Amino acid sequence: MKILVPIKRVPDPDHRIRVDLQRIALELSDVPHIINPFDANALEEAVRIREGPVPDAEIIAIGIGDPAWQQELRTSLAMGADRAIHVGVSGPPDPWNVARILRAITERESPDLVLMGKQAVDDDSNQAGQFVAGLLGWPQATFVSQIEFIPLDPEPSIAGHQLRVARETDTGIETIRLRLPAVITADLRLNEPRYAALPAILKAKRKPIETIPLTELNIELSPRVERIALQEVSSSRKCQYVQSVDELLDQLFLNRCL
Amino acid sequence: MNREMLTRDIYGNIDSVSKVIFYILSAAALACCAAGIWHHVRRWRREGRPFGSPSSPAFDWKGIFSRFWTRVLSQTALRRGRVGAGWMHSLLFWGFAVLFLGTVLVSTEYYAATLLGRTAGDPLFHKGLYFAIFECVLDLAGLALIAGIVWFAIRRARGTSSMAHQGSDWLVIGLLISLGITGYCLEGGRIVLEQTPAPALSPVGYVCSLPIAAADPGPAVVGRMHRTFWWIHALLALGLVAIFPYSRLLHALAGTVRLMATPRALGSMEPISIEQVELAGFIGVDRLEHLTCLQRIELHACVACGRCQDVCPAHIAKKPLSPRDVVQDLRFQLDQWTRSADTNTDPGAVSQQSLCGAVIADETLWACTTCGACEDICPLDVGPLTFITDMRRFFVGDGRFRGAPAAALARMQRSGNPWGLPAEDRLNWAQDLDIRTAADGGDSDLLYWVGCAAAYDPNCQRIARSMVRLLQRANVPFTVLGNEERCTGDSARRMGDEFVFQELATRNIETLHRYGIKKIVTHCPHCLNSLRNDYPQFGGLFDVVHHSELLLDLIETGRLPIDGSDLFNHSAAIRATYHDPCYLARIQRISQPPRQVLDHLLTHGHLSERIEMARHGRETACCGGGGGRMWFDDTPSDRIGIDRFDEVVATGADTVAVGCPFCKIMFHDAASDRGSSIQVRDIAELLAEKILQ
Ligand code: SF4
Ligand code: SF4
Repeated sequence: MKILVPIKRVPDPDHRIRVDLQRIALELSDVPHIINPFDANALEEAVRIREGPVPDAEIIAIGIGDPAWQQELRTSLAMGADRAIHVGVSGPPDPWNVARILRAITERESPDLVLMGKQAVDDDSNQAGQFVAGLLGWPQATFVSQIEFIPLDPEPSIAGHQLRVARETDTGIETIRLRLPAVITADLRLNEPRYAALPAILKAKRKPIETIPLTELNIELSPRVERIALQEVSSSRKCQYVQSVDELLDQLFLNRCL
Repeated sequence: MNREMLTRDIYGNIDSVSKVIFYILSAAALACCAAGIWHHVRRWRREGRPFGSPSSPAFDWKGIFSRFWTRVLSQTALRRGRVGAGWMHSLLFWGFAVLFLGTVLVSTEYYAATLLGRTAGDPLFHKGLYFAIFECVLDLAGLALIAGIVWFAIRRARGTSSMAHQGSDWLVIGLLISLGITGYCLEGGRIVLEQTPAPALSPVGYVCSLPIAAADPGPAVVGRMHRTFWWIHALLALGLVAIFPYSRLLHALAGTVRLMATPRALGSMEPISIEQVELAGFIGVDRLEHLTCLQRIELHACVACGRCQDVCPAHIAKKPLSPRDVVQDLRFQLDQWTRSADTNTDPGAVSQQSLCGAVIADETLWACTTCGACEDICPLDVGPLTFITDMRRFFVGDGRFRGAPAAALARMQRSGNPWGLPAEDRLNWAQDLDIRTAADGGDSDLLYWVGCAAAYDPNCQRIARSMVRLLQRANVPFTVLGNEERCTGDSARRMGDEFVFQELATRNIETLHRYGIKKIVTHCPHCLNSLRNDYPQFGGLFDVVHHSELLLDLIETGRLPIDGSDLFNHSAAIRATYHDPCYLARIQRISQPPRQVLDHLLTHGHLSERIEMARHGRETACCGGGGGRMWFDDTPSDRIGIDRFDEVVATGADTVAVGCPFCKIMFHDAASDRGSSIQVRDIAELLAEKILQ
């Protein structure tokens, strides 16, 4: 069984990010980067699948971005991925193009499962997983907080592994079954990702990272999303004590909150 | 009476056949003992450890010899904490040592006299005054031995102490008691049989001889009786020799070696380089063969007395950690390895068995606050904490660590502080205070090391604000590093992430060197310990003091004047108790300066009372925040150290003074959990509150 785990490199959400108004871009040079936390959940789950129900699972981490992404791919290898693929592009493409690249990789690697974060914490698009499933025509389960391997369905029309997954929806936990190959996007409560300390990263040095230029995948990036402006949101707050509910209402009204 | 006549026959009443049998048995017992010791030594010596300082330190014979007196013979460490048991063990040990020495002297006399062809009644030196003293001292030594062993037998039978039991313990106790008793019976018999002159020189033996003399069964019967006792005594002694390496008695050897070796330095850890890890492919300890030679000896030095368990805050908080069991479980594993030769199991399989998570559970490793109480109390200088941190290193390096504390580690690495906040916010607490950073050319030989807690935690920021105001009042010029300061890495190191620590430490040392800093004051005992004990390993040599030491100095030199408060206004005065932080009082042995600062407030009427808790100074109890425990998200009532907070409240104080930001945070949380109105204040806060308007 092969599991593909796309990994996105995102700025550390703990840090303050400034907007470069001229370039309509984020000022990220001094900001540390991390693996998108939801992707870390996805990778952790893949490792647990290998530690548990499917010991022969092969886990492939994919990064789509500039050479700096290799660092996050190394971390992914230290966390348990068997190998990594780095698709070299100058900056992270929009979700549609990420999905196209992932489709191309999927066609090359023919995995049984694409396990990825439900969204990235930088742009919060929450689209790539759904696009990939659509492009591949695979079943999908999004916002998953539990994955369970269940015995094969005796019904002959459903072949291969079957999964029972719990999805976190606004109205509660929805449990569904799906058949592989499939796309699953991970929610935060799926697991607690392990921490890759330096010795683990050193040990993972021997694992390969394959770099594929975009041209080799025969993909021409055609962004569907255009960024036209960026604005910094002020996070400064004013605190004020009020004595009564009436006063609270007055203040809310005065400050145009009501 | 002629002094020269004062002597006795050695081997009197023992025929030569018996002697031959005795020698054969002795040889067998010694062989058994030697074989056992050799088995252990073989395992002790095996080095499979890829780390450690490349050059082993030269044998410092003077130190080794002096430690034999100060740490082995004196038995001082043993009487700390458990006074009764400590004295009884001392009696037992001294008694046994004297009797052993006596036996050696008697044999020397016997063989020397035989070699020189002297007759039985004409000893070389076993006579006269020497003989008188010898008999008397040995007789009393036996009494000490019996007193000690009887105490231990009673204690063990009552089972009230946290000592762990093993079957052979009773055998050892039984052998020692019977050895003592038969020794006296034997002596009594000999006194009657040989009419030893001045029998009262051996008071106990003399008393034993009285009933025999009174019954007067005739020399033949007494002779047979004496021989029988002699044989029982001899067999018991040989038995003891034979089982020595196979029972807990082994601690006498392993413990002596441990105590004579370099004493443990609390609060320091062995540095390991990236190159060593790259070569080895791992870091820390996961197998018996990764332990140092001395650590393996420690496993055999441990007698499972349970003192460490009694003081372990994690054990008190019912976490699944007993430092005693950590050591004993590892020891069990080591014994399996030693025995594998006899049981025909593959020794490699035992030595290569994984310890982390298998022999020592994950929860056990992570329950430790690294408070150091176990290592400080252990009379044999065994290091449960070092085993734990060594295994944590492996665990983290193996990529098994996860959850909130792992996130804190990741934040220390990315952001340079466990809160994960931007470095540019490090000086937010001081926005309205007029302070200079080293970067804006603040020029002073004193650096105030603020630490992450006071930089980011709103509650702890008050400590730093108070410190700054106090230093300014005393006209002490100082600088801070501001945005350039990073976490010292103390908790990263103690959580087992050596390289996050080293990255932080080298960066801090580089910054401190760039500004030519020599003297540092800090209010954080963890930073203090790291700067004092960890940083010199990486070339950072600074003169570091705790703020309590500096504040005390400023008060006593008059630079920080304390005015008397309105003595009649007692409602404003507070009743305070002082809680000693582990890293300050136990590890850095600083417990008086903070008290003296408080006492200055007391004499000037700012405090109405300073209450002392039972566990104080070096014996303090952990707040639960050290060793990375701060970053575990257990609810306050399940936290380690909640018992300490209850102890604080039980004093009836309305304020608990602390000298550590972690203690402040832990107690603050505990107070809200327990619904207590007690105030938690750093000594700098108290001082500033009282003497600055
Ligand atoms: S480690 Fe020391 S204190 Fe703890 S049980 Fe062993 S001998 Fe006693
Ligand atoms: S260092 Fe403290 S918490 Fe850790 S085992 Fe020793 S006594 Fe227990």
